[in-house]
Amino acid sequence: MQSQTTQIAILIAITTLIFLLMPLFLILYINSYTRHKKNHALEKQQMQQKFESEILQARIEVQDQTMQTIATELHDNVGQLLSLTTLTLNSVNLKDSEKAEKKISSALNLINKSIKELRELAKLLHGEQIVENGIGYALEQEINLLNKTGAYEIEINNGLIDIVERSPDKDLIILRLLQEIINNIIKHANATTITFDAFYNYKTLHLNIKENGIGFDQEKTTAKKSGMGLNSINKRIEMINGKLTLNSSTNNGTIILIEIPYP
Amino acid sequence: MDLFSPIVISEIICLIVALCLFVKDKILFWKINIAYLLIALSTESSAGYLSARNRHNVSLFNTFVLFEIAFISYGMYHCLKKYIDPRPIIFAGLGINYLVFVIFTLRNGLSFYNDVFNDNTVNVMSVIFVLYCLYYYYKLLNDEETLELKNHPEFWWVSGVLFYYFGTTATNLTYGLFQIKIFDHIPLRLFIYYITNIILYSNWIYSYICRAKQRKLQS
Repeated sequence: MQSQTTQIAILIAITTLIFLLMPLFLILYINSYTRHKKNHALEKQQMQQKFESEILQARIEVQDQTMQTIATELHDNVGQLLSLTTLTLNSVNLKDSEKAEKKISSALNLINKSIKELRELAKLLHGEQIVENGIGYALEQEINLLNKTGAYEIEINNGLIDIVERSPDKDLIILRLLQEIINNIIKHANATTITFDAFYNYKTLHLNIKENGIGFDQEKTTAKKSGMGLNSINKRIEMINGKLTLNSSTNNGTIILIEIPYP
Repeated sequence: MDLFSPIVISEIICLIVALCLFVKDKILFWKINIAYLLIALSTESSAGYLSARNRHNVSLFNTFVLFEIAFISYGMYHCLKKYIDPRPIIFAGLGINYLVFVIFTLRNGLSFYNDVFNDNTVNVMSVIFVLYCLYYYYKLLNDEETLELKNHPEFWWVSGVLFYYFGTTATNLTYGLFQIKIFDHIPLRLFIYYITNIILYSNWIYSYICRAKQRKLQS
């Protein structure tokens, strides 16, 4: 009888010990969970900061690119037009009124053309306002600038002009992506025709760019991890949870497919 | 029973800490801790005194259970109100506890109030309080806000409650079934109460310190 009571007492003591250990483990679990939650919140905050800094970087780069375009346009286009106007006006002989009239009229035409060019450039100076009008408009404008060079045969299928959804931060990054891709084509591709396809489907924005340039060896480029701005493009696409598919081989041109969750 | 048992000593320490830290506290709950500790200490020391004189002290503990139900319920109300409106569950718990108390007091007979400990109420009360504590943890885990648990007074107060009521469950359920003594003279049941009380008051002392720090930071 005595031993049975002892056994019960031992059982009670062990049960109590377990009942005391359970809250202890529960507290440890809650503590660890809270710590993880805190770390997660911190990581989220850091990612947000990184995203914001990337946006800032993209904004600066878009502005830089705009300034470069303006400088080139002023030098190569407006500058030339105004020089030509000066030459035309300098050669005006007032005694020969018929010729003078023609020359003045020609100078006036040149000035009007310059004013038109300057107006186009003024639009670029708005910088961020490009994306405020929507990503479709921004892409169109960027491709039009490339088209103006006359160096490429360009085909545009822009289905983004009418999209209602907006995401200004993503728009800025997408615009910068396009600028980088265009820069790469200009610098490295030796292409003659470029096709741009942009459309929005199932909350995903698609941007497909195809050119007929010299292409490149994807494996070698990936192994080098540098050059051609591919890393920067990849990094930016990852930042907005997008997907990049690159299809290229030597002498067969390049196809770039970009999918971005949007807005 | 010893006049200065480990329970009485831990209650005295806890009361002193509460008195030092909460006299100027603006939150009613923390001030009420002082009153509850005073009642607990006077019950425990009176019971010790009566026991030393070989007189029954069960009525003291039976009456103390009423205060215990009210205070712990109020404490849980204070801790849970940040996440939900706890009134329905708290009032339901209070209703059940007091109903069980009344039923078993009447069933045992009022004349035996000083002879029969109302262990049924203690069992029901323990289960309800453990459920409250687990519900509080659940709410805490699902909360958007990330708290610094190390310094969170409510968390440690509730942890003390959980340790005490969960830890004493086995002993409460087998109340009166065995009388075995350890270290030659301390009943095992009492020894378990010593341990759980020490854990309870240690948690509470720590939560009081956290509360004082919190108040200092807020001022």
